[in-house]
Amino acid sequence: MVLKPESMGKITLVGPKSYREAVVAELHRLKILHISDHAKTDDIDVGSPLEKANELSEVLVKIRSISSWLRVKRKNNSEELKIEAGYDLGALSKKLYLEVKQKIEQLREVEGRVSANNSLKAELEALKNIAIDLSAFAEYRSIAYFAGYVKNLDGIENRLRAITEKFELYAAAEKGKNVIVLFVEIEKKNEAREILIQHGLSDISTQNLRGMRGRAHDSIRALEEEKSSLLKQMEKVTGSMGKLRLRYEKHLLFAEDFLEKELEKAEAPLRFAETKNTFVINGWVPEKDAEDAMKKLNAAGKNKIFFNLEEPGKKDSVPVKLKNPGPVRPFEFFMDLYTMPTYRELDPTFLVFLTFPLLFGFMLGDFGYGLVTLVLFIALKKKMPKAKNFFNILIFASIATIFFGLLFGEFFGFEEIGHFKLPHIISRSHQVTELLYLAVAVGVIHINIGLIAGFYNELKSHGFMAALYAKGGWIVLQIGVALLALSYLKIIALPIYTGIIFFVLSLLMLLKGEGIRGLIELPGIFSNILSYARLMAIGLSSVKLAEVINESATEMFHGGGFLILTGILLLLVGHIVNIGLGLLGSFLHSLRLHYVEFFTKFFHGGAKKFKPFGAKS
Amino acid sequence: MAVDINTGLVALGSAVAIGASAIAAAWAEKSIGVAAIGAMAEKEELFGKGLILTVIPETIVIFGLVIAILILNLSGA
Repeated sequence: MVLKPESMGKITLVGPKSYREAVVAELHRLKILHISDHAKTDDIDVGSPLEKANELSEVLVKIRSISSWLRVKRKNNSEELKIEAGYDLGALSKKLYLEVKQKIEQLREVEGRVSANNSLKAELEALKNIAIDLSAFAEYRSIAYFAGYVKNLDGIENRLRAITEKFELYAAAEKGKNVIVLFVEIEKKNEAREILIQHGLSDISTQNLRGMRGRAHDSIRALEEEKSSLLKQMEKVTGSMGKLRLRYEKHLLFAEDFLEKELEKAEAPLRFAETKNTFVINGWVPEKDAEDAMKKLNAAGKNKIFFNLEEPGKKDSVPVKLKNPGPVRPFEFFMDLYTMPTYRELDPTFLVFLTFPLLFGFMLGDFGYGLVTLVLFIALKKKMPKAKNFFNILIFASIATIFFGLLFGEFFGFEEIGHFKLPHIISRSHQVTELLYLAVAVGVIHINIGLIAGFYNELKSHGFMAALYAKGGWIVLQIGVALLALSYLKIIALPIYTGIIFFVLSLLMLLKGEGIRGLIELPGIFSNILSYARLMAIGLSSVKLAEVINESATEMFHGGGFLILTGILLLLVGHIVNIGLGLLGSFLHSLRLHYVEFFTKFFHGGAKKFKPFGAKS
Repeated sequence: MAVDINTGLVALGSAVAIGASAIAAAWAEKSIGVAAIGAMAEKEELFGKGLILTVIPETIVIFGLVIAILILNLSGA
């Protein structure tokens, strides 16, 4: 049945330790057993990894560092990596590791020198118009000096003269700014600095100038020469690293893949229970594969393996593998995004498959938009096979959009093309109130499907009466309130107390089924149903926006000339933006209606996903 | 275009209904969104739950819209 996850068998596997490695290898190949990790107890410890695990992880770490240094990246297309067999991975990794490490160190050293060169050059550039020899920037006992930019030069000299006679001020312009260098007797250092700060001093570092001679110009030229030779060195090193990458890229990727697998195998016993001579694996296997798996494992273990296969117990937390036919499978994406259903409850994927595209289509609901998005997502699916599931969902949603577009008689927001009025069942832009009722009606149906699914779940887990009280109560409540409203508004000729009877009955049922919590949540079901009004709201905003775009563009077309071009541009950009907004809104809101309004009626979730040993995560 | 005061008041009433509820929804969503993003930064699997929690207050503005439409309809505008 589509609504149930795959049936699982709880398997226990016991064997002598000497066959451990062979069994692990076979398990890894079969990719069929979800191992339940053994937790250490007083009686029985977890297993020890295979002997080669240490060596494997050491080599793997080296390979990964080499890959990151050489910037080896995994390609998107998963072409099989095949390389000639029979070379020593350990030796290769050791040799390559040393070689690449040396290169990377060389590179870092050169990079360090380039950055030192850059900062020294910046200092010299700032001072190059100051007419003093660089040897002046030395350490003095009786003189202090400052170098920096100031905002204005006016009056500095006079103010300095006011505090001391013993100073020397050099000023020059550099790139529109005033650069000054001031030498002053050391006793007046602070006062002089104070004056400069008042003139907006920002310091230029002279740290690196110690010990230099001559004018800044000449040093800059020397630095430039040095830099170009450093850059050449860098190029040489990166070039040779590039060659290494080209040569070893495939080897490295293959080695990483291979080692990861081997390491996973070697470390698998950490998840087993082990005694001195035997190992025990507890796990889960899909029931239909169990027979075959046991046969193959027994062959690998030379018939020395003991198996026990049983039905999952009531309290077991069974890993869940969803089982849905092809077209429904993409929608399992929504369960991954939210949480896995537990083993014993309904798998909502099929229900989501039925209703998600419908709610989405109801909101976007435009024939033209549906066509555009359909083409777009088919193209994107080809382009990005990795996100295939996601695009499949959107393709279904686009088809529903086209369908609803026909119902609403909308084509890019137009309700008539030329003078041909598109036929429609209901017009979204003109029958807003009807649309609101329709949206709420959809809500009633959807919520009640949820309640029926919840009834089934309760039935399975707590029996008929519990299901009747907890889920049936909500349905009776809706009937009660509907009767009350209809008889109050005199739409049906029933005495008002029939509604009251239903209402009170539902209260009692809910009190029994869900306790006080049920009563507190009483208004919740109506806010849930009203929440479906968003089907109208999102749709309406999308239609109105489309209409505004169309109307403004039509006006421009009447204007003629250059305005026609603008009109076309407006149509294009406007509809693209509106489609983008519509997609985002419709997707999120449809998803939300499922997660919040629909799922809360029946879904618990929280199971672990079935993850067989050896399968890629 | 002259509009009588009653029509104006009806329009204002529905505008307040949707405007105020939109501000309320935004306010509520702000706090939840911040917390949800924080949680997601720590644990990416929480995306689904975070999304749901974040959009829960959105219903408020839908109610506002429903009320606005009801006001417009009941007043016969």
